[in-house]
Amino acid sequence: MEHAIELRDVRKTFGANVAVDNVSLAVPRGAIYGVIGPSGAGKTTCIRMIMSILFPDTGSLSVLGRKSALEAKDRIGYLPEERGVYRKMRVGAFLTYLAQLKGVTSETAAARVPDLLERVGLKGTERTACDELSKGMLQRVQFVGAILHEPELLILDEPFSGLDPVSVRLLREQVQRAHARGATILLSTHVMAYAEEMCDHVLMIHDGRKVLDQPMAGLRRQFDPRRILFEPLHDGADVSGIASMPDVLKIEPAGASYAVTLVEGAEPSLAVARIAALVPPARIEIARLRLEDVFIRIVAGGGGLDEAAAALRSRLQAGTAAEARA
Amino acid sequence: MSVKKIGLVAGREFMAAVTNKGFVIGLLIMPAMFAILFAVMPRLMTSTSTVVRGDVALIDPTGRVAPLLRESITPQAIRARLERNIARALNSSGVTGDAAARTGAMARAIGAEFRLVEQPATADLAAQKRWLTAASADGQKPLALVVIKSDAVEPASGGASYGSYDLFVPPNTSERVENELRDSLREAIVSARLAARQISAAEVTEMTAVVTQPSVTVGSDVERQTATGFNQAVPFIFCGLLVFGVMIGAQTLMTSTVEEKSSRVIEVLLSAVSPLELMAGKVLGQMAVSLLVLALYVGIGVLMLSSFAMLGLLDPWLIVYLVIFFLITYFLFASVFGAIGAAVTEMREAQALVTPVMLLLMVPWLLAAPVARDPNTTMAIALSFIPPVNTLAMMIRMASTSPPPLWQVWATIAVGLGAACAVTWVAAKIFRVGLLMYGKPPNFATLLRWARQA
Repeated sequence: MEHAIELRDVRKTFGANVAVDNVSLAVPRGAIYGVIGPSGAGKTTCIRMIMSILFPDTGSLSVLGRKSALEAKDRIGYLPEERGVYRKMRVGAFLTYLAQLKGVTSETAAARVPDLLERVGLKGTERTACDELSKGMLQRVQFVGAILHEPELLILDEPFSGLDPVSVRLLREQVQRAHARGATILLSTHVMAYAEEMCDHVLMIHDGRKVLDQPMAGLRRQFDPRRILFEPLHDGADVSGIASMPDVLKIEPAGASYAVTLVEGAEPSLAVARIAALVPPARIEIARLRLEDVFIRIVAGGGGLDEAAAALRSRLQAGTAAEARA
Repeated sequence: MSVKKIGLVAGREFMAAVTNKGFVIGLLIMPAMFAILFAVMPRLMTSTSTVVRGDVALIDPTGRVAPLLRESITPQAIRARLERNIARALNSSGVTGDAAARTGAMARAIGAEFRLVEQPATADLAAQKRWLTAASADGQKPLALVVIKSDAVEPASGGASYGSYDLFVPPNTSERVENELRDSLREAIVSARLAARQISAAEVTEMTAVVTQPSVTVGSDVERQTATGFNQAVPFIFCGLLVFGVMIGAQTLMTSTVEEKSSRVIEVLLSAVSPLELMAGKVLGQMAVSLLVLALYVGIGVLMLSSFAMLGLLDPWLIVYLVIFFLITYFLFASVFGAIGAAVTEMREAQALVTPVMLLLMVPWLLAAPVARDPNTTMAIALSFIPPVNTLAMMIRMASTSPPPLWQVWATIAVGLGAACAVTWVAAKIFRVGLLMYGKPPNFATLLRWARQA
């Protein structure tokens, strides 16, 4: 099946500033793709090129099987980072207008608006003028504008920025709903936790270059520091047996618990079972990768994927050692 | 280009414009101004008395002018003369209706009350001149000093020509005082001369009076009373309608574009429509607004004319050409205003760019009078082919009393269309680039660079 979005060696410069540098990307249909990266990395430029609001200097792209998003505008829902409303217009009229521009009849739009507004916690605001709503409320209105025409592709640029947790949850539910309907979703965010929890694939852009393009599952594996956090059930339990287990490289105390580092190629789940069998645990878990660590590491190190993975691993291990000394 | 999307944008633009409070107020301002000018002003003038009062010193060596001047300088005589003059002016300009009734009121309002202070023929001229500038004791203001020449009533022996008078006035004397005095003096001196020859003044008045009759314009199908004032006003009215219509549309277009940009709604729009569709929709939407305004004003004008039974004076083709010229001029200016709106982030920044364009639109106003008076001078003809003022100049010429040949009209339309297309093409490029540009306000050089880039 063709991809929902494809970028092939896309490059965009603004004067001397290279905003996007030879980025290639293929978003499969039905995926939830997260775009992360520091501010000014080129995320919004990328998204604007996908939307054909900007055009690449070199390279080509296709969206929903078309040469340009212009030919598939009505099948795409877009929540830009720079978002606004007609302040004098009423919420219902504004949303209906947007839906009509996307090819939805005014009757269909009018029928969908009250339900969707209710779903994002804005029940009964159809007749309210836009400038009477708060910023957070308007953001939810704009989100409704992006999904009102039930697009095949939903592109959300920082959809949750500045929203309260309740609103974030409401919007996330709607994203999940669109995903369940079969829509492809591309969302950019600063909040690593959202990307981690929502996306099945993560793309990271840094200084205009793609530095990471991985399924979340693969990312976890690749960046897996092979570390087990272990807290014995009884104080003063003898953990010396763990150190001599075949997969274990070393064991270091970390506060009340221990950090167990495994050798290269070890299977963490087997090691967990063996450790638990040897010393009854109060808590035992495989240390989870945090996307934030990957992010910070890449941004700070400025390196590519492999160096980043290696650097992260050594940092995490060094960190554990430092904690042990403390 | 999706016609449906352009229609949707145009529809929203139109509705947003006509439901705006400012628009309704703006729409009423012009009729309100006319109403004030034609209905309220004369009433204000009648209720405010501007009668001049003061002393006029007279030295009359002939002794024959003074008694007659005493009669011709009375407020009643001055008012009667004013009424005659006003009636004559109104008559020649073709105004009918209740105008005649108003002349009396007007004459009363602007009359003069002079008190004649007769001095002996031997009075000292220098002392009298000092009196002019001295503050008077009883509050009456010295207005003038009149010295009648000794040969004013009868020619000096052997001569055939008469003498007249010297008039001395203090500084800052209003022209009206002089005019009233001169009229009164003229009447008195003529009467004195006639009396000297034993000719009846009343008879002479009757004999020299030829009542001015308004001319009748004979058209191919209709004969109508010529209305000079109307013919003079028509070019200005049509030029005004043209400029006003263009201004309303283009200005609102710019404002709404700046609003879309500064409120950042633009990017959402661009995910649904292309910049060209957006611009086309907005230009067409505002065009509909302007046409509505024009239709309203032209409708009011036609109604007013027909209520005065003067509708036959207006060539209906003028209205057709007004619409054609409006469309050409509107597209030219609207696309420029739209491009400016797209290029800036705030209204404040737009002002610097808009001012020169506005001046262009004002040029015809400055040239309207000479072009309307002589519609076939080289300047007038040249202006009719120089965009963007060509349509305005041509409108004035066509509405004037000697319209240009038809080939010139079509040449103007062709040149205008060409210019409008070229400008719209460039403006559309600026529009596309400008829409997503934020930050430093651009100047004209930046705009041209964008146009080359796009």
